[in-house]
Amino acid sequence: MSTGLVASSENTESKDPQQRQPLYEASTQFRNWRFSSEGLAQIREKLNEAAVAAIRNTFEVDQPGSSANVAFLHANEEVTLVKLYLTKIPQLCAMFRFPEEVEATAISYLKRFYLKNTVMDWHPKNVMLTALFLATKTTNNPISLETYTAHIPKTAPSDVLDLEFLVAQSLNFEFTVWHAHRALWGIWLDLQSLPDVDQNLSPSIHDTALNHIRASRLTDAELIYTPSQIALAAFTLAAPDLALKWAQSKLLPNVTSSQLSLDTISPVLELIKSMILNEGHAPDVEAVREVDRRLRICKNPEKVVGSKAYLAKQAEEERKAEEKRHKKVLEMQKGQSDPFGDEIQGTSLVDYDDDDD
Amino acid sequence: MDAVEKANTARQQQWIKDRKVGEGTYAVVYQGREASTKRKIAVKKIKVGQFKDGLDMSAIREVKYLRELKHQNVIELLDVFSSKTNLNLVLEFLDSDLEMIIKDRSLVFLPADIKSWMAMTFRGLEFCHRNWILHRDLKPNNLLIASDGQLKLADFGLARDFADPGYKMTCQVITRWYRPPELLFGCRYYGTAVDIWSVGCIFAELMLRIPYLPGESDMDQLKTIFRALGTPTEDDWPGHTKLPDYVPVGQFPKPPMRDLFTAATADTLNLLSKCLIYEPRKRISALEALSHPYFFALPYPTHPSKLPKCSTVVNKPLDEVDANVDMNSSGPGVKATSKGLKRKLTSPTEAKARSIARRLDFSKAPPSSP
Ligand SMILES: Nc1ncnc2c1ncn2[C@@H]1O[C@H](COP(=O)(O)OP(=O)(O)O)[C@@H](O)[C@H]1O
Repeated sequence: MSTGLVASSENTESKDPQQRQPLYEASTQFRNWRFSSEGLAQIREKLNEAAVAAIRNTFEVDQPGSSANVAFLHANEEVTLVKLYLTKIPQLCAMFRFPEEVEATAISYLKRFYLKNTVMDWHPKNVMLTALFLATKTTNNPISLETYTAHIPKTAPSDVLDLEFLVAQSLNFEFTVWHAHRALWGIWLDLQSLPDVDQNLSPSIHDTALNHIRASRLTDAELIYTPSQIALAAFTLAAPDLALKWAQSKLLPNVTSSQLSLDTISPVLELIKSMILNEGHAPDVEAVREVDRRLRICKNPEKVVGSKAYLAKQAEEERKAEEKRHKKVLEMQKGQSDPFGDEIQGTSLVDYDDDDD
Repeated sequence: MDAVEKANTARQQQWIKDRKVGEGTYAVVYQGREASTKRKIAVKKIKVGQFKDGLDMSAIREVKYLRELKHQNVIELLDVFSSKTNLNLVLEFLDSDLEMIIKDRSLVFLPADIKSWMAMTFRGLEFCHRNWILHRDLKPNNLLIASDGQLKLADFGLARDFADPGYKMTCQVITRWYRPPELLFGCRYYGTAVDIWSVGCIFAELMLRIPYLPGESDMDQLKTIFRALGTPTEDDWPGHTKLPDYVPVGQFPKPPMRDLFTAATADTLNLLSKCLIYEPRKRISALEALSHPYFFALPYPTHPSKLPKCSTVVNKPLDEVDANVDMNSSGPGVKATSKGLKRKLTSPTEAKARSIARRLDFSKAPPSSP
């Protein structure tokens, strides 16, 4: 798929004519967060299986035979539950009047998080709140955590603080997200300068396309396609003739290959369009309620504060940390020889300030 | 253990911390090694637990931008991992910074050396700007120097992107001496020109060997700027009197730059003055600067490996070091036996050239000295 072609329509028209590698293709999103549909399904399947096995084991250790009647969640049920919480983000953003950028970023974070974790370990409610809070910061729209949680019922600052690090880590600390709504803006600006396009384009065309992009955020589109592909698909849904004009103008410089490229793009556009139309809506509430009900029974007890399994895990971690501290003290007493010789120059090998190992 | 936790532990084990080398405003910095290659690295450990709003904005900005930026003249972020409540950034290890070099009175700068540092600074900055990122804190001690002489933009704790035009931004950025007049006047809509002003100040500082515009307060900063460059007229900078924090700070004539930078060539002064144009929209861009005649005129920029560098690691008498210098080799020039030592100067002939250059000092008198 000609990502280069469509990607270059990103709102990054540089003044530099000899622009080297397209910026998007150097991004962490392009390198680390793009998958095939099958790839996504596989990742989710594997995560789900591993979680079920681990939780089953925890149940059995606690009480043999106790996992037999537990109806664990399937991967697709996890996706459904996450999707419900994706739909909460725009609602919260409207309440706080956060910009589009925050909303889109938080949604990407929540999806990416569940490519590394399962809902049976971490319930999406607090993960969603954390992803949104983190997104306000990474997009440079920070608000205080107190203000944030004060406006959300039954939520304390610790609900967010406890998870923030895990969320950041799951994102691999890759906070930059390239968004389809920005690519759409690029197309929109391009259109205003096309010679054969009416200069009085109705803003409602842009708004309709934007709504399709918002719908696409409830799907896997951004994990499979480039922002520009999604933007073009959304624009095609809003104004097919204009979308074609834009695509042709972008491809025109090379007339012979233009037909070819248009042909290669359109199947992808069709896929994205049907994804938006078929999956770009909130999940059935009853179905989600059922999933959530079962989740209460099959969630990982090690993550439930205060439970027997949770306490056991904590005790084990404390024991390991104590062992490490003990070893460090012993090493210090031995005055262990210093492998870096004179480079250290008087500083002790053991750093007293270094409290993390 | 969760997959995420496991991956983190695996990452953590790739990096070994050896010793503490510095302490910044919100971090402790260690020297260390990559376990598999023994490559020297720096680990910047940021305490997170102490912030009531969680991960703090400087850390977030630094990680966010360095994760995306890969360029020879931008510090490389090799990895990120967490330990308890700490965030650890694994960075390429950089021996010194431009401030240390400027302050090291035993070093002599040739015009070609300054040209080389300026070229590397503009290259790194052009890359940031091309990626829609403003640095917003350029100053000599944020320009770090690698052991091969390459200069790298570092400290992205104040950086931000500017893809949204007309987006209001804070004017409380950039260390005062390097802060452009539009920010001092409270301008909230600004762009890449703010970084260019800082580079202009650094350029001047490289020639003078002391800060060019060292204001003592924000108000005094404006005065210091106007004293050096003349008070701007409405023609020089249309609309500046309408900026939010505009205050008249007095009328100063524009002294010829040549009076201060006595040994600088016309090209040099031309580029410098284009970096310090009052009207931000007229200020030169990083891309334009890179094709300025200054960079194509003689003398050509010094090869990074031949630039003057601090001798902080030298812990034996210099003649002993020189005894290890292999004059006929074009390689590192120091025999393996002298591991850990660094020469101050590249070769005896260059040493001579430098001492001559030193007598042709750029600075006649320090600016704004009492
Ligand atoms: N990449 C690096 N390589 C070697 N030393 C470094 C590196 N980064 C920082 N340091 C050292 O650690 C000190 C503190 O760094 P930093 O936290 O970035 O400083 P600041 O808060 O002053 O900007 C620096 O003054 C420097 O001595």
